[in-house]
Amino acid sequence: MANWIKKGLLFKTADHQQGDWMQEFAQAPCVVVRDDTVRVYFSTRPKPDSGLYVSYSGFADLDRADLFKVKKVSAKPILSLGKLGTFDEFGTYPVSVVKNDEGKYVCYYAGWTRCSSVPFNVAIGMGISNDDGETFTKIGDGPVLSYSLDEPFVLSGPKIRRFNNLWCLWYIAGKKWIMVNGKPEPVYKIRMATSSDGINWKKENRDLIETRVADEAQASSDVFYKDGKYHMFFCYRYGANYRGKEFGYRIGYACSDDMYNWTRMDEKVGIDVSSDGWDGEMISYPHVFELDGKIHMFYLGNQVGKEGFGLATLEEGTLV
Amino acid sequence: MMHWKKLGQIFNPLDHDLGGNCEYFAQSPQTLVLKDRVRVYFSTRESQEHGMFVSKIRYVDFKKDFSSIIEVANHDVLPLGELGTFDEHGIFPINPLRVGDKIYAYTCGWSRRESVPVETSTGLVQSNDDGKTFSRIGLGPVFSASPAEPVLVGDSFVQAYNGSYHMFYIFGQRWKESTLTEPPARVYKIAQAWSDDGITWERNDGKAIIADVLNEDECQALPTVLKISERYHMYFCFREATDFRKNPSRGYRLGYAYSDDLKDWTRADELAGIAKSKSGWDNEMMCYPHIFEVDGEAYLLYNGNEFGRFGFGLAKLNMN
Repeated sequence: MANWIKKGLLFKTADHQQGDWMQEFAQAPCVVVRDDTVRVYFSTRPKPDSGLYVSYSGFADLDRADLFKVKKVSAKPILSLGKLGTFDEFGTYPVSVVKNDEGKYVCYYAGWTRCSSVPFNVAIGMGISNDDGETFTKIGDGPVLSYSLDEPFVLSGPKIRRFNNLWCLWYIAGKKWIMVNGKPEPVYKIRMATSSDGINWKKENRDLIETRVADEAQASSDVFYKDGKYHMFFCYRYGANYRGKEFGYRIGYACSDDMYNWTRMDEKVGIDVSSDGWDGEMISYPHVFELDGKIHMFYLGNQVGKEGFGLATLEEGTLV
Repeated sequence: MMHWKKLGQIFNPLDHDLGGNCEYFAQSPQTLVLKDRVRVYFSTRESQEHGMFVSKIRYVDFKKDFSSIIEVANHDVLPLGELGTFDEHGIFPINPLRVGDKIYAYTCGWSRRESVPVETSTGLVQSNDDGKTFSRIGLGPVFSASPAEPVLVGDSFVQAYNGSYHMFYIFGQRWKESTLTEPPARVYKIAQAWSDDGITWERNDGKAIIADVLNEDECQALPTVLKISERYHMYFCFREATDFRKNPSRGYRLGYAYSDDLKDWTRADELAGIAKSKSGWDNEMMCYPHIFEVDGEAYLLYNGNEFGRFGFGLAKLNMN
């Protein structure tokens, strides 16, 4: 069983506000390790406008030797919001970054639009950076991975990896909208697609992770390779009344030999909500990365990252 | 030059019971030829609260020489999509396709948005009762937005030629911002895709195949193709992007293009051989054409004034 040692809330959005676009939230952290720094991309929001949020993505550069030292925060969003009527007009969240063969950073992000019968729909877009990851230019006004027969709506939470010359994208796809107290709530599951070029994708078209709780929604399928196995940390919640402790997000774990077939083993995840504090009600959106011989996890606490994100470090030799 | 003989308005929805509270509109007639009849599908409108409406599919069966009506369907040929899906708020149009002894149809599904009125995608459905009813193959679309075709993919018309499937369809290039007198205005173009199985489609992303004759904001819709001898003939409708609803000089009219290789299309509206009448039901507008063959004769169905509020008419090709 993994043993994660919690180090506390690392990035507090309130301490780093930028312009009007970074006011609350630091969600879905994703790391790029650089020479002297660890760059963490995350998603953030302005104050809500008539109760509705838009979301942007930015980054923070952390000192590689002491992750709690924030050396720089992006002054502007890494991606613009989409044009009128396009899939990402109201949000670019979350984002996942990797290098392509030419050494350029490429990002996959979830674009948000607003609907009338349900609050939103989401599809996955792609951007390429020409300035070393400071900003990204979209490859088009439309999505690179969108709705299909078996994935009808809410394609979100992209996590891009490159294994064995293959581009691998883990993401979530909506299964159904359920009505809870007169309000539509989405149920979504972890999915996967592969590509030889990062643009044309072949969907696996099946749920990768078995469901354990009622109308379970799964997110943040974060995969890394270690000791001959693929490890996935992800989060899950109940379908209804999930904005509190009882039915809110927890972190789960699954393991695979081939990255296609997964065995869920939440009992080995080794991290849970704290008895109180910033992560005392829920924990979610894990991102696991290796740095200088150690394995770390960034994750979100209460209200899905409204305050910021925190750090946990794996006790050596306890990875499942 | 094509030579068409107009046979006049052959179906007015006000003369028939269409079920529900459907009254006006019989839009985008498209045919399935059966043993003893020609089944013509169309979209009518059911009104909902707050002045909104949804488009629903009906059909009318004609004798094969169109001398009389055999039957008019007043049931839902295809139910609307579930909460949050792409075809929740309407299906318009539907394009039936016989493949061996099976009957499929490609649909254009509508769902409402907040910043713009609507988004569309192409669906795929199947019938097991000679086209009386259809059911979905999946909850989601079979063909939707892509990086260079960001919005409003729809109006799919599919034919099998030389062992593979060819789809002619439209995609939205962009939405123009609203003005004092105009709501947001869409700009869409005709494109082409290819498939071996009718499900996985390849496209030249963002490539419009029909040259504009008005200006870059020209809106092109509803391509329909018929092979006669060795030439492929395409009809479609086109209009200005704004002030097209009540201004006949800017509204829909029919366009024409031809190809001998299914790749390069030559636009030649002057060879269309059909135009608005001087008076009567199609003197202000012509739109949503459908060309097809029955018993060795080629026909053209189309809508007239007010986008088909009062039904559709027929023309017959002079084959000499």
